[in-house]
Amino acid sequence: MKKNKFKQNTLPALAMAGPVSLWMILFVTLPMLYIIYISFMSRGIFGDVVYEFSLDSYKTLLDSTYFKVIVKSMKAAFITTLLCILIGYPFAYYIAKQPKEVASKLIMLVMIPFWTNSLMRLNSWLLLFQTSGPVNNFLQNAGFIDSPISFVYTDGLVMIGMITNMLPFAVLPMYSSIEKLSKSLLEASADLGASRSTTFFNITLPLTFPGIFSSIILVFIPSLGIYTVTDMLGGGKVLYIGNIIKNQFGAIRNWPLGAALSVLLIVITGLLIFIYTRFAKIEDMEVV
Amino acid sequence: MKKLISMLLALILITGLLTGCGGTNTGPVENGKAEPSTELNIYMWQQYISDDLIAKFEEENNAKVNLSYMSDNADAITKLTAGGGQEYDLIMTCDAYMESLIDGGYIEKINFENIPNASNINESYWTAKEYCVPYLMNYIYVVYNKDTCPIEINGYNDLIDPALKGQIATIDGARNLFPIALIALGYDPNSTNESEIAEAYEWLVKYNENVVAYGNAEQNLTNGTASVAFTYDGNASWAMSELGDKNNLVIADFESDPVQLGFDLYVVPKGAKHVDLAEKFLNYITDPQVMAANLVEYPYSCPNDAAVEAASDAYKNDPARDFDYKENVFFQKDVGEAITIYNDYYQKLKVGE
Amino acid sequence: MSISKKRKRQRMEEFIGTTYSIAIYAILYIPVLVMMMFSFNNQRYNYYWNGFTTQWYTKLFSNSALIESLWYSVVIAVLATIISVTIGTIGALGLKKYEFRGKKFINEMLYIPIIVPEIVMAVALLVIFIKVGFALGMGSILIGHCTFCIPYAVVTIKGRISGDGYSLEEASMDLGANRIQTFINVTLPSIMPGVMSAAFLSFTLSIDDVVMSNMLAGAKNSTLPVLILSMNKSGVTPDVNALTTIMILIIVIAMVLNNLIKNALKKRKKTEETI
Repeated sequence: MKKNKFKQNTLPALAMAGPVSLWMILFVTLPMLYIIYISFMSRGIFGDVVYEFSLDSYKTLLDSTYFKVIVKSMKAAFITTLLCILIGYPFAYYIAKQPKEVASKLIMLVMIPFWTNSLMRLNSWLLLFQTSGPVNNFLQNAGFIDSPISFVYTDGLVMIGMITNMLPFAVLPMYSSIEKLSKSLLEASADLGASRSTTFFNITLPLTFPGIFSSIILVFIPSLGIYTVTDMLGGGKVLYIGNIIKNQFGAIRNWPLGAALSVLLIVITGLLIFIYTRFAKIEDMEVV
Repeated sequence: MKKLISMLLALILITGLLTGCGGTNTGPVENGKAEPSTELNIYMWQQYISDDLIAKFEEENNAKVNLSYMSDNADAITKLTAGGGQEYDLIMTCDAYMESLIDGGYIEKINFENIPNASNINESYWTAKEYCVPYLMNYIYVVYNKDTCPIEINGYNDLIDPALKGQIATIDGARNLFPIALIALGYDPNSTNESEIAEAYEWLVKYNENVVAYGNAEQNLTNGTASVAFTYDGNASWAMSELGDKNNLVIADFESDPVQLGFDLYVVPKGAKHVDLAEKFLNYITDPQVMAANLVEYPYSCPNDAAVEAASDAYKNDPARDFDYKENVFFQKDVGEAITIYNDYYQKLKVGE
Repeated sequence: MSISKKRKRQRMEEFIGTTYSIAIYAILYIPVLVMMMFSFNNQRYNYYWNGFTTQWYTKLFSNSALIESLWYSVVIAVLATIISVTIGTIGALGLKKYEFRGKKFINEMLYIPIIVPEIVMAVALLVIFIKVGFALGMGSILIGHCTFCIPYAVVTIKGRISGDGYSLEEASMDLGANRIQTFINVTLPSIMPGVMSAAFLSFTLSIDDVVMSNMLAGAKNSTLPVLILSMNKSGVTPDVNALTTIMILIIVIAMVLNNLIKNALKKRKKTEETI
């Protein structure tokens, strides 16, 4: 391994890995230690944290409600991830096949909508599809329907919201790994008489797997904690794990329970990533 | 060893940098204007106080008022619980949180000698009098579209009528929803009895069937998505004035069920740095003329009787406040430890089976 | 397969690809267009379409709080991008190249801000800032944003560092370049696409962040998303739509200008070369 030559160099290692390590220790490890610490405390009468060791919060988690919530959240995140990958891959492929100049512009065009406020973008879907909204008005005036269709607060609209919110996180890594594919390899495959689909399934897809892998992580994990989309487009009728944790730190003021839930979420997600990396035979947890 | 020393060095450097950052960010420099003698930091609801009145207060006191806004009552509570109260001089909260804020020692007593105008506020609406100054208030009642609502609504029990399936736009939150169920069942709206809360949960399961969406009540009521709304009178007022001549919204004529009355009030957090100016502000905003002007822009219900008296006719004749059971109200009280019981059932309600 | 048939097929594929991509862009841009349309809505809050007006654009200029908050959002997003990409780039290289004790730990820590719901990180940071006595404001928001941008930056850039980069670096050093020269001339260009996507991602995450900003904001300097979130009780006023519309227009104009200038420069270079 050529790494060895650099290995003895403490100073450059420190200069390069130092800042990120320090940042992570100060602003991630320290806060996480605090969260783990208070998860073993208990809630005071006034919603403060009573600093006495207690397992109450973890005992509360045994309630079946939390199990159901986690399963529900996972299911929603899974569907979102699947759709984002299926929809995003051909899109990323198309962009990656364009000349470099054009491709970078197309990628920028994907990101620009996300510089506007996400709550307002979600509200736009409501304004568009609501009972007296433009879509219903158009359909009624054109005579396709007699009475307005209720598009809003349906699972379909929630899915549109989820996909439009998460798609760039799926497209970006897949784009970069497809773009990295060397053209000569694909040409060689074609020259050797492989059909296009054979080339795709035997060469393109396996070689871009790291990109798909990171897309899955970058979409699945944040979707697990997201709640704004379901709150706004789903009418807030369903609670997800994100809502429940938010409520503990907000209105309910049960920080220890919120902390314990977060610890549980980290453990479950960590476990999933672990199993997933073993299953996908990816050596360390490097993404993209 | 060398590694450790350089690590420490880097740490010191970074902390130095960070504190530097914190020190320099004391807000935008006002160019051209004279440096205000002092400033006032208020944390409150957005679109809830007239900008002109703030500007006038700034001018009169040669001070700068920094308004920052919360998205939820819980925001203020989270910041106070974390110990961040000293960032502000006045925080808006609601009456339901007062007890735990006082007992938890998060807020200061207010010196009412410096706020003579506070006498304009109706005493009967004023709990925890030493610690807060009520600002505006909200009735949480039921309004419906008389053209599309299939039934007449005279009490909470009408809201679980199957005829209303998918028709109700409602506000959210365990402590807003459970009281109406408890009242419908004939219990204390602030019950701490678990079996009563469990019964209320069963009632709310039926209510939930009829709900089309939590939140966005006035939007859904005006655009036709919902025919009934359980919401604040202030929001109903916006919806009615938006519809103008086409207003087909009517307030449910409740026969015996009380409605919730909640207050948005100002408290002074522990460690507030500009208490003198905070008191001046409280005295300013409780002045009847000032508050009356504020009500023109923000026509919410107000506990300041003198201000309501001085308010415009448009305010007094607002159809959203034209209902006759204003005296039949209940307040949201701190339920102490029982909040976790409420929360368990609230989660169960929304997670479903 | 005859050549003309192959070309026909290629054209067909090109057409399908283009149509598909346009459909995706449409889904991404429809909400933005609706948002822009409702900046002309004659209504105090955007409940439904109620007629055309331009009053919100004039009102916007008197709403200094709104414009100020956009300014803070942009400043924080730019700073967060610069800090995260700098730390992320050298960090990704360092974590990929060197072995040191605790590396695995740091690698795992990078996942935490992605996994943990933002509100949890925000509350924990809030408590720590208050305990240490660090004033809440732009500084604290910036640190919060960097904390979730750095992991994304590291993860994105790491994927761009390929194995054969090392030999190039060695060759460069063998030819007498020092570490910094090698970094600037060899390493950086090879990972540039990753750095660019990291920058994009960081900027996008920061400019639209609301949970972290909401918790860590002090009495001054709240960002635009926080201001919009705080409107949720009454409703969002159309002047916010007007502001967003102007923002989008500025971006589009900047992109077009950038293009024109680039093309003009290219042309000039070409004509100079031919002369």
